[in-house]
Amino acid sequence: MFSYYIQLAIKSLKSTIGTTLLMVLAIACGIGISMTALTLNHMTGNNPISEKSDQLFAVQLQSTGSSSTWSTTDNVPEQLTYQDATNLMRALPELKHTPMYKTGFSVRTLDPEFAPVLRSSRVTTRHFFSMFDVNFLYGGPWSKTVDENPTFQVVISEELNDKLFGGGDNTGKEIFLNATTYQIVGITESWQPKPKFYDVNNGAFQSSEQLFIPFVLSSVYELQSWGNNNGWKEERVNNYQEKLASEILWTQYWAELPTKKDQDKFSQFLSGYVSQQQKLARFERDDAKGIIRNVQQWLDYNDVVGDDSYVLVAVSFMFLVVCLVNSIGLLLAKFLRNAPHVGVRRALGASRGQVFAQHLVEVGMLGLLGGLLGLAFAYFGLSLLKNNFDGFDFVASMDITMFLAAPIIAVSATVLAGIYPAWRVCTTLPSIYLKTQ
Amino acid sequence: MLVMSDINKVYQTELVQTHALRDFNLTVKEGEFIAVTGPSGSGKTTFLNIAGLLENISSGDYQLDGQSIVGLSDKELSRLRNEKIGFIFQGFNLIPDLNLFENVDVPLRYRGFNSKERKQKIEHALELVGLASRMKHLPSQLSGGQQQRVAIARALAGEPKFLLADEPTGNLDSLMAKQVMELLEKINKQGTTIVMVTHDAELARRAERNIQIVDGQLCDFTMYQGGATANEQEAIA
Repeated sequence: MFSYYIQLAIKSLKSTIGTTLLMVLAIACGIGISMTALTLNHMTGNNPISEKSDQLFAVQLQSTGSSSTWSTTDNVPEQLTYQDATNLMRALPELKHTPMYKTGFSVRTLDPEFAPVLRSSRVTTRHFFSMFDVNFLYGGPWSKTVDENPTFQVVISEELNDKLFGGGDNTGKEIFLNATTYQIVGITESWQPKPKFYDVNNGAFQSSEQLFIPFVLSSVYELQSWGNNNGWKEERVNNYQEKLASEILWTQYWAELPTKKDQDKFSQFLSGYVSQQQKLARFERDDAKGIIRNVQQWLDYNDVVGDDSYVLVAVSFMFLVVCLVNSIGLLLAKFLRNAPHVGVRRALGASRGQVFAQHLVEVGMLGLLGGLLGLAFAYFGLSLLKNNFDGFDFVASMDITMFLAAPIIAVSATVLAGIYPAWRVCTTLPSIYLKTQ
Repeated sequence: MLVMSDINKVYQTELVQTHALRDFNLTVKEGEFIAVTGPSGSGKTTFLNIAGLLENISSGDYQLDGQSIVGLSDKELSRLRNEKIGFIFQGFNLIPDLNLFENVDVPLRYRGFNSKERKQKIEHALELVGLASRMKHLPSQLSGGQQQRVAIARALAGEPKFLLADEPTGNLDSLMAKQVMELLEKINKQGTTIVMVTHDAELARRAERNIQIVDGQLCDFTMYQGGATANEQEAIA
């Protein structure tokens, strides 16, 4: 019977093409708007490294002055000073943990004809790659020695490798970063966590870096941060070395702590470090502390999916409800206009249940058409966002979940909305209409 | 075939209670052709709706082909209606979006026949009414008489035992009416029981038996060929 209902639905929708188009358009508008909002919410709320979310921890230190306030919920800065980052880096060598910050270079090959390109870069240690599951196409991270002794080595991304050399294994080759030559030791596979959880403070939805260089180069090569530099103390900072020794917060710090024991050990170490810094009168606050937060806690803490995103989803779904209410009105009018035909079908042996099912299939088809058109509207909406606003490159695109969700939501919502009109028409007495036909 | 015993049908509104049928008794034998007449508002349509299982009774008992319909669910009533009863309406009641083939197909779909069986039955029914060559036409492309013949084909396709016709010639000119009546007589001769509501005394006279409903009661009958049952004699008395 289902195929028969589909045939009848197609005939019915075609016979009232104007009304059908209006209903499909109404549903599509609702679905388009709600799916756009839902996609943004879904993509921003994504945990990009869920399999290791409980093992990776962002590290924070309450290193600010006693009168300083911060924008975070617990008044603790998101970033660390360079001196704290280097101090932590040197401790607990048996655990993987790494400082990092964002910088950038003008990049070119040794080919004098090659026009330089500007690319962002992450300054970090070799642990970064294994901690964040960054896979290599060729080569690998630099060695432990390079992390300890400044060496001009670089890991580049697949995209940059394609740009510079047109692809292939180019490990061992040299490239210019600004005016300095670096040797390529590894080429990573394309890697873009959404959101960019390891540096949400500098833009949770920015592209991941295409160059990675050793953290130890910072002090000798004076690599300026391309991210946020937050100061709270009045201090003299006239040159790079003074910046490195200052209380300016500009580095991020992450640790991989797979077991509870590791987590306790690292937390204990942080407490000890804070006490030591208090004794040295660097950390002024009595409530100075070290905090670790796993990836999900870190994303929540930084409000990556803001409340306004949920409000937007709620409002967009309310809009969908309005669209559906309009469609219910049209459906009810259409179904009741066809009630005489329903009377005939009832007289010829259709049960109430069969009439109800027939109308719900028609409603479901409307929902499917609305959902597919809505999907196109959502795609258009997301493209508009992507092309006209910064920071939407990676969140304003549908993944397979959202792609499948659109028609499912449309059909479910429309069928739910269509229950009343279908029920009304199937419960009318057929005898009333048989005489009035 | 059809036995109605002490049937009452009451329509109740907030202010008014209307007795559409009162203590209605009727027996229709298998193979009979009965004409039902009566003034407007007398209860003919209510009788037809109850006989066709389209309305419930307020009290009494109704047995169709040996089965009591009292207490049956909507699904069971629909099934019974589909298998046992064919309807012919004054206004033809063809579904305008469906062609002739699809219109005749409607009751067969609900019966659950496979496509081969349905095709065979539809073609046979349309051949019977002389419209097999026009099965892809829409109802709007046919004359009134042809539309009524399609309605008859639709009523007959499922081979019901019992045909209910509500003013089947009411919207037709005399020539068309004559053709439709001849077709009904032919069908009756093949064994289908027919109950026909009509205002046309001449058509009524062509039926085997003529019953009249006045004020919701069976008040008179005339036998042209058959005879009244004991129940009906009692009802009239």
